[in-house]
Amino acid sequence: MPTMRINVGPVHPSTHGVLRLIVDVDGDTIKKVEPHIGFLHRGVEKLSETRMYMQNVSYYNKLDYVAPLSWEDLYVGAVESVMGIEVKEQAQYIRIIMLEFQRIANHLLWLGTFCNDLGQMFTEFMWTFRERDKILKFFERVTGQRMFYNYMRLGGIRKPVPSNFNDDAYNLIEYLYKNISEYTKVLDANNIFKERLKGVGILSAEDAIEYGVSGPVLRASGVYEDVRKSHPYYAYNKINFHVPLKAEGDSFARYQVRYEEMFQSIKIIRDALMAMPGGDAVGMPVKLIIPPAKNNIIIERRELPKGEGLLYIVPDKQKPYRISIRAPAFTNLAVLPKLAEGAKYADLFAILGSLDIVMAEIDR
Amino acid sequence: MEIKREELIKKLEDTKANGYTYLKKITAVDYINYLNIIYILYNIDTKNEIIFEVKLPSNDLKIDTVINVYKSADFYERELSEMFGIEIIGRKIKRLLLEEWDGAEAPLRKNFIWGNKDYKKL
Repeated sequence: MPTMRINVGPVHPSTHGVLRLIVDVDGDTIKKVEPHIGFLHRGVEKLSETRMYMQNVSYYNKLDYVAPLSWEDLYVGAVESVMGIEVKEQAQYIRIIMLEFQRIANHLLWLGTFCNDLGQMFTEFMWTFRERDKILKFFERVTGQRMFYNYMRLGGIRKPVPSNFNDDAYNLIEYLYKNISEYTKVLDANNIFKERLKGVGILSAEDAIEYGVSGPVLRASGVYEDVRKSHPYYAYNKINFHVPLKAEGDSFARYQVRYEEMFQSIKIIRDALMAMPGGDAVGMPVKLIIPPAKNNIIIERRELPKGEGLLYIVPDKQKPYRISIRAPAFTNLAVLPKLAEGAKYADLFAILGSLDIVMAEIDR
Repeated sequence: MEIKREELIKKLEDTKANGYTYLKKITAVDYINYLNIIYILYNIDTKNEIIFEVKLPSNDLKIDTVINVYKSADFYERELSEMFGIEIIGRKIKRLLLEEWDGAEAPLRKNFIWGNKDYKKL
């Protein structure tokens, strides 16, 4: 039977951006997948060279509009390293709390759209969006914004937290714990869900390293790697948590890793709230800040919800000379041709969805 | 660590055999007279990072592909050739990474002209 070429897109069924796939099929078995990207290219790396350090923050939180705060934190953290600024102790804990809430919000949105990708699982989509909205409303109370926060400042955060911050956060994690626990009843106990995912898109540990995937995709293949553990930042080394691992490497394992990560994030938030010291958390105001004279190249890494983010900064006097971005979804998408080869056409989106991509950070 | 262009493949193969099996990033920096190509390698077991820099003169932008050593180099090398105009020797896929772009100019080079080109000609 001759192979047939199918064009998928340029569209993504779950609004993570615009992606086009060229799929060669033999019957309904996939022979080859070629991702075509670049529909959302804004030239962030080039634009960053034209503006002063703190003016760039709003480019970086739009790299991943599902988890804006995480990218914002990575960029501001990198600028802090360039300037040699220490983060205030209370601000470290507030950042951890906010980043872990952001991780839960990211995984919730992923889970909802992933179930949507699988087809006819709209209940789960509504449930996860209900929970995600609670987190966004909490962010609105704390930062003043629902999505693009611009909350990080050099050495701290933009404004002091509200007086009821602790109670508010406690109530929210209690609510999240109760509601996220319910998901197993419609997911893990659901035969359709399991049949669609188990044994689909298997990525071995060797291939995962070879293709350079990171984050939950890497950990679902049984490779222990988490920047929060290997290169601890803020107060992560003072907080006790474990990194979920699964050995299977299929789509179901990637779901399980993310699902468990949400509970670990809840635990981190609870411990950080208990350990949070008092004092001052407000960072420096935005103004012209000139870095120290010796221009060291800075490499800053963070564990973003989608994987490991890395910024390579060559500093200059007022503006960065060059910023290079390692976006986790970029390499996670590059493994798709390998995973989809030999799979059934109907499983293509069960595989693509499980990688958790967002096109804004792939195209940059 | 700075290495020569000729010994790149050999050096990466040796480093990979030493446990640095994970390629984190390939990127480049334009210093006008020369370009630095940067390879960030990572050892998952010992959590160590090693960085190789290859200096290329601006009038001779050619470098060997490392895709036979690290498969994850594929997307990064395509990005490199598109954004910096570097010729990657030995690559099979010549297609650019970002579509709708003729690839004649290298946008991340420092000599790239901003804005509407026709306006500049006036």
